[in-house]
Amino acid sequence: MMQVGPSAFMALAAVLFSLGLYGAVARKSAVMVLMSLELMAVAVSLNMVALSRFVTPTEMTGQVFTIFTMVVSAAEIGLGLALVLAIYRQTRSIELTRMDTLKG
Amino acid sequence: MLSGYWIFAPEVIIVVGAIIALFGDLLPGRDRTAAYVGAAIAALAAVLAATGGTAGPMIFGQVEPDEIARFARTGIAALTAVWALWVAGRGMPDERRRDAVALALFAAGGGMLLTMAEDLIIMYIALELSTMPAYVLMGYRRRDVPGLEGALKYFLLAMLTSIIMLYGMSFLYGISGSTAFVELTLEGSGMLGVLGVMLTLVGLFAKMSAAPFHYWAPDAYAGAPAVSVAFVSTVPKIAGIAVMARLLHAVASDVGGLVTIMAVVAAASMLLGNLAALPQSDLRRLMAYSGVAHTGYLFMALAPDTAAGYGAAVFYTIAYAVPSMAIMLVAAEEGAGLADVGKLAARRPLVAWSMVVWLVSLIGIPPLAGFFGKLYVFGSALNAGLVWLVVLGVLTSVVSAGYYFRVVREMFFGEEPAGGVSLERAPAASFALAVMAVATVAIGIGASPLLAALGVVLG
Repeated sequence: MMQVGPSAFMALAAVLFSLGLYGAVARKSAVMVLMSLELMAVAVSLNMVALSRFVTPTEMTGQVFTIFTMVVSAAEIGLGLALVLAIYRQTRSIELTRMDTLKG
Repeated sequence: MLSGYWIFAPEVIIVVGAIIALFGDLLPGRDRTAAYVGAAIAALAAVLAATGGTAGPMIFGQVEPDEIARFARTGIAALTAVWALWVAGRGMPDERRRDAVALALFAAGGGMLLTMAEDLIIMYIALELSTMPAYVLMGYRRRDVPGLEGALKYFLLAMLTSIIMLYGMSFLYGISGSTAFVELTLEGSGMLGVLGVMLTLVGLFAKMSAAPFHYWAPDAYAGAPAVSVAFVSTVPKIAGIAVMARLLHAVASDVGGLVTIMAVVAAASMLLGNLAALPQSDLRRLMAYSGVAHTGYLFMALAPDTAAGYGAAVFYTIAYAVPSMAIMLVAAEEGAGLADVGKLAARRPLVAWSMVVWLVSLIGIPPLAGFFGKLYVFGSALNAGLVWLVVLGVLTSVVSAGYYFRVVREMFFGEEPAGGVSLERAPAASFALAVMAVATVAIGIGASPLLAALGVVLG
């Protein structure tokens, strides 16, 4: 039977993280950017849980850390959606490219 | 046993104060009273933080309320108190006061916890607690589209960078098997350790608006109300520098080349911030770039990994935060354009002269706080042999005089802004500004005992 080591999980997390990073930079819709950020957060959680399993299997520090980060990122996404909604009410658009009232 | 926990009284009080302010419409006098209560509680927290003493590692080594933390906590609470007092006097533009004060108190509580953090988990939670209210403050005016756009951009970038930082932290944890700063051992971890440290630092650099990661700051600040910028650009920075000092101290010996990285980022921040500030005609943008430049000076002190450098950096954040907040509050009263402060000396001579004190302190002219801050920052970098960085720092300080004095010229010899409305009297706001003017002078005069307490001794 094949053993799956920590490097496999870390590689998967790196792929997810890169996909999310690409989406966060390239997407034009604010909601899509938020979803990409969420993907990155999931990659970090996966990395932490995997490392926790392989590095400190008895103490579970990484798993506790992950629970904290999940709660925080849920709160952050809620805040982000509230901001997007507030903008949508005023301008009827959530395209980041249209947000050019401030000069770059 | 439990008596030792009195040391956390300021944080507890400030969070309780935030909750009281949040439900402030039940108090007599409603909105304004809530803001006054918030200011009074923050002031009480500052006094408790200053007199509470210090201790070694507490709660399983997760926090350490040492001398640097005591200084930074006092500064955060005191600045929050002054800010809340100003808000009580003048109010937030078009919106209620009490939510803003409650948010500021939550952010201050997070920041104060952050200065004591000795563990990655505590650091992350405290950092988020101190920055999340800031997003709301930046987009505080619900119907103001530019403000909301600035807030959204700020939010997306801040969230992106905190996830990048978290990714770095996951590697740091994976390598050392612990989240405590003292147990971070990266020796022999090779590229993975460097990657972890770099990702973590990138997140912190962006939060402190250091040079290659600063581009969000001018846009976000220019869209937000100046009152919010006054808070967001100063108070979280104090906490950020204190925790960076702790984290760098923990990893500096294991990762070679960290001094060079910090020095290069410091040099880039000083150059870019000061040169980009020169042509600005909006005070918020000007202060945003000036903030980038000052982050450069702070990093100069952090670079050499010495106790004196860390002390000097924390002292300099306070010396930077007080005048910077005061200038933004004046901009909130007068208008954020450079032309809006035209002939301020004729209309409000006391405020104009206080502005001169703050601007001169930011340039670093004796005997004000900024001078001693810079003196010790440069001194600690010189002791570590970073001569080129100090020369660059002195030169860019001279450049900075160019744009700060432009504001002074506008105040004394500029033209009266057209259609100006005379401000109503607000004793609380004027008192807050007066406190900051006195503080700028007093911190300068009392610099040597303060710095001695922080463990800064220059040979």
